[in-house]
This record gives sequence, C-alpha cells and structure tokens, in this order.
Amino acid sequence: MPGFLLRRLAASLLLLFLVLTVTFFLLRLAPGDPVGLSESSRLTAEERADQRRIYGLDRPLPVQYAIWLSAVALHFDWGTSLAYQRPVNRLIAEALPATLLLASAALVVEYGLGLLLGVAAARRPDSALDHLIRILSLLVTSQPVFWFGLMAILVFALAWPVVPAGHLRSVDAADLAAGRRALDLLYHLALPALVLGVHGCGAIARVARGSLLEVLGRDAITAARARGLSERRVLWVHALRNAVVPLIQLFALSATALLSGSFVTEVVFSWPGIGLLTFTALSARDYPLVLATTALAAVLAIAGNLAADVAHAVADPRVRDA
Amino acid sequence: MPIPRYGRPARFLALALLPALAAAGCGGRGETKAPAAVTPRRGGTAVVGWNGDIKTFNELLVPSNYVTTEVLMRLFLRLVDEQPDYDKGPPTFAPLLARSWEWSADRKALTFYLQPEARWSDGVPVTADDVRFTWQAQTSHDVGWDSANMKRQITDVEVVDPKTARFHFTRAYGRQMTDANEGVILPAHVWGKLPFSQWHRSGDWFHEHLVVDGAFALESWEPHQQVVLKRNEHYFEKGFPLLDRVVVRVVTDQASLMTQLFNGELDFVPQVAPADAARIAADPRLQLLAYWFRLVVAVAWNNRSPLFADPEVRRALAQAIDRQTIVDTLWGKYGRVADSPIVKAVWAHDNALPPLSYDPAAAQRILAAKGFRDSDGDGVLDRGGKPFAFELISNAGNQQRNDAAVMIQAQLKKVGIKVTPRIIDFGTLVELTDEGRYEAAVTGLGMDTSLDLTGNFHSRSIGAGNGSNFARYSNPEVDRLIDQSLAVVDLKDVRPILDRIQEILNRDQPYTFLWESQRMPAINRRLHDVRPNMLFSLSNIKEWWIEPHR
Repeated sequence: MPGFLLRRLAASLLLLFLVLTVTFFLLRLAPGDPVGLSESSRLTAEERADQRRIYGLDRPLPVQYAIWLSAVALHFDWGTSLAYQRPVNRLIAEALPATLLLASAALVVEYGLGLLLGVAAARRPDSALDHLIRILSLLVTSQPVFWFGLMAILVFALAWPVVPAGHLRSVDAADLAAGRRALDLLYHLALPALVLGVHGCGAIARVARGSLLEVLGRDAITAARARGLSERRVLWVHALRNAVVPLIQLFALSATALLSGSFVTEVVFSWPGIGLLTFTALSARDYPLVLATTALAAVLAIAGNLAADVAHAVADPRVRDA
Repeated sequence: MPIPRYGRPARFLALALLPALAAAGCGGRGETKAPAAVTPRRGGTAVVGWNGDIKTFNELLVPSNYVTTEVLMRLFLRLVDEQPDYDKGPPTFAPLLARSWEWSADRKALTFYLQPEARWSDGVPVTADDVRFTWQAQTSHDVGWDSANMKRQITDVEVVDPKTARFHFTRAYGRQMTDANEGVILPAHVWGKLPFSQWHRSGDWFHEHLVVDGAFALESWEPHQQVVLKRNEHYFEKGFPLLDRVVVRVVTDQASLMTQLFNGELDFVPQVAPADAARIAADPRLQLLAYWFRLVVAVAWNNRSPLFADPEVRRALAQAIDRQTIVDTLWGKYGRVADSPIVKAVWAHDNALPPLSYDPAAAQRILAAKGFRDSDGDGVLDRGGKPFAFELISNAGNQQRNDAAVMIQAQLKKVGIKVTPRIIDFGTLVELTDEGRYEAAVTGLGMDTSLDLTGNFHSRSIGAGNGSNFARYSNPEVDRLIDQSLAVVDLKDVRPILDRIQEILNRDQPYTFLWESQRMPAINRRLHDVRPNMLFSLSNIKEWWIEPHR
C-alpha cells in the first residue's frame, strides 16, 4: 500500500506541474493583456511600458515562468494579484472558506436527498414513484446549474421571498450577536446549497437505486429476510451498508464536481468564494490569480481522483498490487 | 488682463434650499433627478447594488474601473467639482477641496486655495503638500498610473503656503483645469511613508492606512460582498452627508441584481437593462431615472482592410444598415441613432450634420459603381474574385452589441454582403482592435467632456499603446483640426473646429455610429434627491436622504 500511494502521489505531482505549466503558457499566449484592459482610453505607450515593467511582464516569457515557478515551489508565494494589488495567497485564503462551506453544505444535500430518493425508488422498482424519481432526476441533472440557480432565485427570493437572493450575509450582519450572525449565514446559505445539492442529487439517486437493487437481489438479503428481520432493517441496515460502497468512491469525485459547480453558483448568488474570484480574475487577465485558482482546482481534482483510487484499492487489493 | 477668481459658495445652505430647488424643478442641467420629498431627513442607510467590486483604495494602482472610481470619489476629494452642465458649454467647475482658484495672466499657472476647514479623517489638515504629493505619485514611473498622460503638461506643483498650491503648465490650453483636476488628492502624511516603488503589491497596506477627506469614510470592506461607507465626521461641509451609511453591495449577476432591487434589498442600482425598464417603471415602489450617457456605440471599419479603405464603400455600408430599427429594437425610447462621436447631450454636438438615412438601394448603387457584383450568383457580392464577406466582432457580456451584430448581418445580407458575427471576450477584442487584426467591430467610443478627439481619430493614435483609433482612420485634415483644437485656450472657441471634424467624420464614415443610449438608474422611492449625471452615478450622494422603512 505505501508503494501504491507513493506512485500515485508522484504521478499527481507531475500532473499538477504539467497543468500549471500549460496554464501559464496558454494564459500568456491567449489574446488579451492585463495592461490593455483599462477603461481609460488614454493609456499611452509610455504608461503601458511602465505597467508592464511594474508587473514584470516586460521580461521574456521563459524568465517570467522561471521566476513564478521558483517563487511558488520554494516559498509557496503565488505572487500579487494584478487587479487587486494584494497577495494572491491572502485572496485565496479569504475566498476558500466560503467555497468550502457552500460545497460541504451542497454535498450534504446532494447525498442526503440522493440517498433518500434512491432508496425510495429501489423499494418499488418500476412503480410510478420510481418512474417519477427517474424523470425528476434526469430533469434536474440536465439543467445548467446557473439556469437552475436563476430559477430558484426568481421563485424563492422574488415570487415567494423566503430566502435572500444572494450574498454571504445581510447588510447589517456585523451588528448582530454571534448566534444570530450564524443563523443569518445559514439563511443565506440555504438557497445556493440547495441549488447545488439538488442539481447533483439526481445522479446519486440513480447510482444508489442501481446499487441497492443489485444488493437486494443477493442471497444474503434473502437469507436475512428468511431469518425474519423486518423489511426496514433489511433495507436500511443490511442492504444500504453494502450498496453504499460505490457511492463512497463517487464521493471523492462528487466533491470535485461540486467545487467546479460552485464556481458558477457563486457568480449567480454573489457568493464570495473561489468561483467568484476566478471569474473576476479571468475578466481582468489577472495572471497570478488565475494560475493560483487553477492550481487549487487542479489540486482538488487530483486529490479527488487520488482519494477515489485509494478507496478503490482498499476495496479491491488487485488494484494496489497491479 | 486678470483672470476672474471664483467665489466660495456657502455649500451648507444647499441643505436648506434643496426642497425649494426641487419643487421649482431646478435640478442640474443635463441631468435627471428623482422628485424630492418635502423634508430631507438626516440618518439611515442606503444600499446600492453594483455588478462590480472595488479593487483597491488607491486609485493610482489599478486600471481605471467604474465602481472603484465612483466609491473612491466619495472617500477622497478632487480639487474642484465638474458640473453637469455639459449641454450648455465647455466644462465648468464648482469649488470642492479648493474653495477658489485663479489663473496667472499668461494662463500658464493655476493657483488653488484649499478649504481652510478641510481635514483628513485622522484630524490632520489637508494641505498643499498633499496636492504636490499627489501629483508626484500620479506622474511617478514606479506607480504607473494609467491616466498619467493627463499630467504631462504640468511641469510642477508648487506649495505656496499650507493652503495654497500652484500648478505650472508648459503652455496655456483649453483643458488645463480638467487635467489639473484629474485624480483625487491623496494623504501625504500617511501614504508618503511608503516609497512609490513599493506601492504596487501593497493593496492591503493602503486599506490598513486609509485616511480620507471625502464626505464618507470606510466602515468595512468585504471583498466581493460589500463596501460599507459611514459619515466622515471630519468632512469640511457641515451638515453633510445626510445618510449615516451607504452600503455598496456587489451583485455580479444582472438577473440577481434585478431580483434584489424588486424585493427591496437594494435602494439604488446605477444601471438597468432596457428590457427591465418597463417592469421597474410599473412598480410603484421603484422609480426609473434616465439620462443620456457619454458613450456612442459604433461599427469600427478597419480602414486598412481593402474592403473598407474607400470612404464611399463605408458610406454605402452605413446606408445599408437600418440604424433606427436597431435602436428601436434594442433600446426603445431609451436610445437614439448616433451621428457623431460627440453625443447630442453635449454642447459641441453638431446639430446640422446631414442625416445618413437607411437607403439600401443607394448602397447597392454605390457598391455596383465600385465594382462589386454577384458574378457567381451565390447571393454575395464579389470583386476581383473575392466575395464581400467579413467578420464582425463584439464582446461577450454586452447583449445589445451582440444583438446589433446579428441584426447588421441580416441587413447587409439584403444588399449582398456576407457578415459573420463573432462574440469574443473583452480582453481579446481590445487586443485585436488595438493591433488592427480585425475587419469590423461593434465597439463603444467614450468621450469625456473636454472633447479631445485625439484618441479615437488622430492618425498618431493608431496602434497599440498609441491611443484608441481602432478604425485606423487617417485623414491629414482631421489630424490638423484636432491639433488645432488642442491649442485653443478658451474652449468656447473650439466649436467651429469640432463642427468641421464631425462633418468630415460623417462624410468619411471611419466608424458608422449606431446609437447613443440613456443610462437608467433605478431607485427605491424611499431614497430621495438622487441626481446621477453623465459624469458620475453617485455624484451628489452626500445630499441623498432616505425615509425610514415603511
């Protein structure tokens, strides 16, 4: 197992390096320049030259790459945001908790609701309820998450205003006591987390249903029933415990997908996380910030895959021995 | 001959006079305003929704950015306040940080007398040292301010005494006051402690060392969420601002912005889309304001492209585009057909320009005379074996421009021209148009009230880093007239020159001007005395007042 882990880790680091290197050069080769994006139409050649020198963009591209890579590798210094003139590390540190909070809450919704629907569908396969759950799952999953978010805002923030349309906190949240501030946060979290979670729960429901049906057909379950165990106990304890294994593997990948989904959701809901930060960084050609957020997304994706591999290896020794 | 010195206004009287002025309909010229209620009230919080975030508290550090400029202008003062009377004549100015000013006899020196009561939020008086320090920062190559060129005619800022600063210019010219006034005054006693070479990468330092002299001070800033401004108790105009706090909420998605306006979370949104205008106007809790903005949207024809090198061909294209239909479809009553880079709401617009009406038959005649024929019967004109086909680019995120490109495609198809609209991101569009690697683009031409046409039309502004002459238009007569306009000392005398330039542009069609449109801020009716104008959305925010929640 340690050898397996080391091989996977080394491959992950190499992959990360490649992703960052390709992103670095693609960003620089793509049309657009942070210096040319001023809303001022009066930028002269001299001012352009000043700004390029200040930002270090006047150096040859390989030199810029070497400086950037050494700062990241040796000091974990991701540079200074061109748009905000603030350290990228700090911008990421400020935004990451909001994204993690949203993704975690959405994960709870996604798995909680997905499992419930999956179990409900598996209990009576091919019944009207099973068909309804399948149709709803497909319907929800097939909608773009931003559209789903906008519809949710229109319904739950405007037509039937039970939750706010966006943001992390109310305007006057700073004046609230700690307990009320936490409630205020939950109040604002509800809609984006539901949108993101419900959007993903269809796939979980389908996997849970399929897995559960497969387990329910096994001899062990027939034996459990023969022993006189209640149907509820058979389903929720014996069958679900076995059926949940594929979902554990899916969990790591879901976490990654949720983080990428939260990028779009954050823009729609003005949620101050990594997604919103990346969105503004891309618009401003903020190279250091884009590279850092790309690295973060890559790390999460690689970590998710690594976790899935490890889970698979734990479940199946043939994988780690290969 | 001595130049008249401007008097000091008793600004605090404005508070008492506001209701009477409002009742008499005496809003600023060329601006729009919400009807004022009878009794202005002190206190309360107004929430402004904006689709962008403030980037920094030092405006010299980042590219010009609309929301950052608007917010910083409430925290820091400029020397004088440009007035929204651009429909009447050249820019006029009212006292702000400078209570008065005077010109030297040769008009090469401009002396500002600062408000004696003006103080920074830490209690330190604002002095001429701050004015000089600001100029030094603005022109420092280590700071790299993107409007530094506006200071290139200023050779020195002299500290005459603690409350008197004198600007020295290389020569007398019409835009001296505008140039001197560009940029807010910065606190030398605090920000002077950090060398200019360290200003970049120090965004947090400026936030942590923020002292201001404007009507509002910073209460808190949560990036991507909100900026909270509170009343600056050291502000020199006693009685202002009326609001206790202003919260600027960042709402990046336009649909969410509208939702928050309709459900009462926002009191003011500086710009709504025409598609939302009717719904806002119909809502009794909201009010839609509208004023003409200083932006013209045009098709830039790359004049260096063989297709568009001939002015007559460009005129034919202009006549083949039904601009009135485009405006009616995209803007309704909130837009009008443009015919000049100088918008109709500005005094120097030439109202005598001959109209260039929609006439596809005339366009076809011109094109035929120029040798364009559909020789292979494919429905597309060609000349010398090359079809009259081109790509029309516009930037993503600007629905009106993208829609206009599609409409132009359909209209030009009727005269046998094949247009392929392509939507690209703004950064790419800027690069392609800067470098001339495009054929035609739907783009915006912004114009400040000093009416300097160099950037868009002078041949020295062609090419990246030289200006914004995207069309790569080169006309020696226009170059000469622009240079002449820049030498005029009294801007009133510039009108005949600008008229002639507009006439030539109308004839040559380097750009086909499509529309000028209104900015449409929406306000909750609880909020009063909101008077946005062409210059700033939050221009008179210190006079805003709000009723308690009903």
